[in-house]
Amino acid sequence: MYKIADFAKEINRCIQCNFCLQNCPVYLEDAVESSVARGRLNLIQALLVEKTLVATERAGELLNRCLLCTNCVQGCPSGIPVDDIVITARAELHKEYGFSLGMRFLLKQVVNRSTMTNLGGWAVSIAKRLNLAPDAIPHLVSKPFEQRYLTKIAAKGEVRGRVAYFIGCATNYLYPETGEAVVKVLTECGYEVIIPEDQHCCGIPALAHGEMEAAQDVVRWNAARFADLEVDAVITDCTSCGYMLKVKAAKTLPTDDPYQGKVEAVAKKVVEITEFINREGILSNLRDRIGDINGKMGEAGAASANVRSEIATAAEARQELAATGDSGASLKVTYHVPCHRAWSPNLVQAPRQLVPNLPDVQLVEMKEPQKCCGAGGSFFVDHESIASSIRGHKLEDILSTEADAVMTQCPACRYYLSQGLQEKVQVVHPVELLAQRITTR
Amino acid sequence: MSGLVRDLEGLLEARRVFAQQEDLLAYTNDATHRRVFPEAVVQPLTTSEVGKVLEYANRKRIPVVPRGAGTGLSGGATPVPGSLVLDMKRMRQILEVDQRNLTATLECGVVTQEFHKAVERLGLFYPPDPQSMSVCTIGGNVATRAGGPRGVKYGTTKDYVLGIEAVLPDGEVIHYGGKSVKMSSGYDLARLFTGSEGTLGVITKVTMKLLTLPPYRQSMVAVFGELDAAAETVSAIIAAGAVPSGLELLTKSSIETLEAFIPLGLPKDAEAFLLIELDGHEGKVHEDAGRIIAICEAHGVRETKIAQSAAEAERMWFARRALFPATARLAPNVLIEDATVNRTEVPTMVREIKAIAERLQITIGVSGHVGDGNLHPGILTDKSNPELMQRAEAAMGEIAKKALELGGTLSGEHGIGTLKAPYLEWEFGREGVQLMRRIKAAFDPNGIMNPGKIGAEWGGANV
Repeated sequence: MYKIADFAKEINRCIQCNFCLQNCPVYLEDAVESSVARGRLNLIQALLVEKTLVATERAGELLNRCLLCTNCVQGCPSGIPVDDIVITARAELHKEYGFSLGMRFLLKQVVNRSTMTNLGGWAVSIAKRLNLAPDAIPHLVSKPFEQRYLTKIAAKGEVRGRVAYFIGCATNYLYPETGEAVVKVLTECGYEVIIPEDQHCCGIPALAHGEMEAAQDVVRWNAARFADLEVDAVITDCTSCGYMLKVKAAKTLPTDDPYQGKVEAVAKKVVEITEFINREGILSNLRDRIGDINGKMGEAGAASANVRSEIATAAEARQELAATGDSGASLKVTYHVPCHRAWSPNLVQAPRQLVPNLPDVQLVEMKEPQKCCGAGGSFFVDHESIASSIRGHKLEDILSTEADAVMTQCPACRYYLSQGLQEKVQVVHPVELLAQRITTR
Repeated sequence: MSGLVRDLEGLLEARRVFAQQEDLLAYTNDATHRRVFPEAVVQPLTTSEVGKVLEYANRKRIPVVPRGAGTGLSGGATPVPGSLVLDMKRMRQILEVDQRNLTATLECGVVTQEFHKAVERLGLFYPPDPQSMSVCTIGGNVATRAGGPRGVKYGTTKDYVLGIEAVLPDGEVIHYGGKSVKMSSGYDLARLFTGSEGTLGVITKVTMKLLTLPPYRQSMVAVFGELDAAAETVSAIIAAGAVPSGLELLTKSSIETLEAFIPLGLPKDAEAFLLIELDGHEGKVHEDAGRIIAICEAHGVRETKIAQSAAEAERMWFARRALFPATARLAPNVLIEDATVNRTEVPTMVREIKAIAERLQITIGVSGHVGDGNLHPGILTDKSNPELMQRAEAAMGEIAKKALELGGTLSGEHGIGTLKAPYLEWEFGREGVQLMRRIKAAFDPNGIMNPGKIGAEWGGANV
């Protein structure tokens, strides 16, 4: 459970080495030591543990000015869970000082997906009216992913297994094509796909904003929907959902919470889709059915055209772009590694290992694939100017590869990068690159 | 104090002046445990801004504490009450890498590892490798004469400084030296500023000597059943003239600590490990590696393991760099000693440290750049336990005293700061310290520059 008392010891283990200066995207822009993990930990200790400081607005600003990207955690020789501690501090400052956090109102609508269908558009328009998110809030598709599929989709050909699919909010409302690709790859490879009804947000946005109760509600809700399924794996296509389900969900609830068992059962089975594909070696089954995007697109192209008619303009435009980029020449793709990568060992290699299986796709590495893009979930909405300067370095790196496309498994990165790249370079989920090249049975 | 902020905002952009407690808190210490709030922090961008701030502080008798990345281990960048911290990290341009003269001129805030990358891209080499090099700055390195594992073959920062630009407390800018490799004119002010720990003025630019990048490198680990045998091996390797570019001692507790952070697959029951790097031409490296393995075997080594790839070697050295921070897993606080002895005295010093630990009933992990006699005993302590803290500080004093008795020095590469200031006279005698104090007064008559560092009673405006 995210309580500062539980973290007092962890904070104390910070040996003040300042190695975190190297990895913090915000520090690299701000260049002030209060904007880096060590500074934040010392601040949290003074405010909430030792209570030697009384918070002013500046404290709230410094603590909100963290992407929760975990780059500091990954480079911390003492292994201090800085993001957990910042999340906790946000929640407690919120309680103690009532600091308002930009997205609160919106989140309450977004987290509870059962009301989202109607409220979604409404919340967005309100947010715009409140000037919370002038242009940054993305357009939603007219028909969410979950309304397009049955709850159980049969495997094609010989049955290899059975998996459950956790639909992240971004896939549901922004990038249904990712969900379609996941389902296509899995079923074509012989997996029956279960899509439990009434899934909610994974809870990580609520957690990030210190909305502990909202996060707890959805953690319990989702655990109840997935824990008892007889499946080999719980698939996610989103690295942040995966991080939440695998690592953070259990921490969100009290240790003696009756749902802990269910949360653990789900956590054990959570796998990111490209990692699943590699781990299970399922591509070998498909080899004779993976072509280049033109060569063997016949059926698949027709199928996706049907789906396309249902997709709202934004998504449609993206697909058109994907379709026009492939006039026979090979597709040069570069890989942006999501920051939420440490929860699973091969997350970072899996998309790279996928590419050699795609005959017309070529991987070109950028200089710093692991460098943050500045999105940080909804960080870019609340902190527009710093996020866009962080993104600036990334865009430069991407453009210098002269790639036609960027692949990444994080929808926030995808959205934010594509806004920055405009139409020069498309951004896709690696599973889509694969799905587009599989001929259906 | 709003007067101070107003004044500073008149000297440089307001967004580079910080005076809110939340920001100041981040500047209350270096990598040591004592914390003191400064009055304000400023981030100059140019030498002329540094000059303006110093001139103002000198006029107002405000103590000034220059700061790089705050990774120091001696308390050298810890503020004093009422002070103004000069955060130099925004002055981070590499101004020139001169391939024909083998020199580089750079601003003080350049991160050491960035400097390494920049010159290595051109096939050049800047050897000093303080273990915080991923974040620490060249200005801080020069101000503390920082070293690192490569010191055994290549010396430390002090051996590479050809020229400096520095701002004196009255705001005057001095230049000394440059690209000439030879210079025999006047007092060597570059050397004087090197290691001055911010007590004479502020180093703003430096010109450093470069080498060409060695074409080949090889790393290995030698595992020993006994600490003494490992220490003896070190002296034998040096005596044989097969000078490695890195020769590090790690002991059992350090390996346990490291394995928790970055598994290297080293045996956990061995007492001591030597981490060795050789560089140069490939044939010569292999030849020396063979000789070193033979020496290790003659001293009863349990096994030797040669890194099979550059990645594996980097993993070994990455683990070594993480050693100090990773000790945080063992105790809430660690005092890192920096006593350095002649290389022949390493085995004696290692035994003495063990004896001190036993006598004071305290845990001391012995590790360090043994190849150059620079030991880093890590004294485990807890600042919330005053009695333990006292014993830890006593251990520091005893280790320092012992190193001096053996003909060594108080500090090999961290500097004196505040932690070792009380012992200064042990090394230099009354006369030596008095002379240093007069030099300090000649540069900084009002004592505003980093008071209390090197000499406990030096300086002291407003203190």
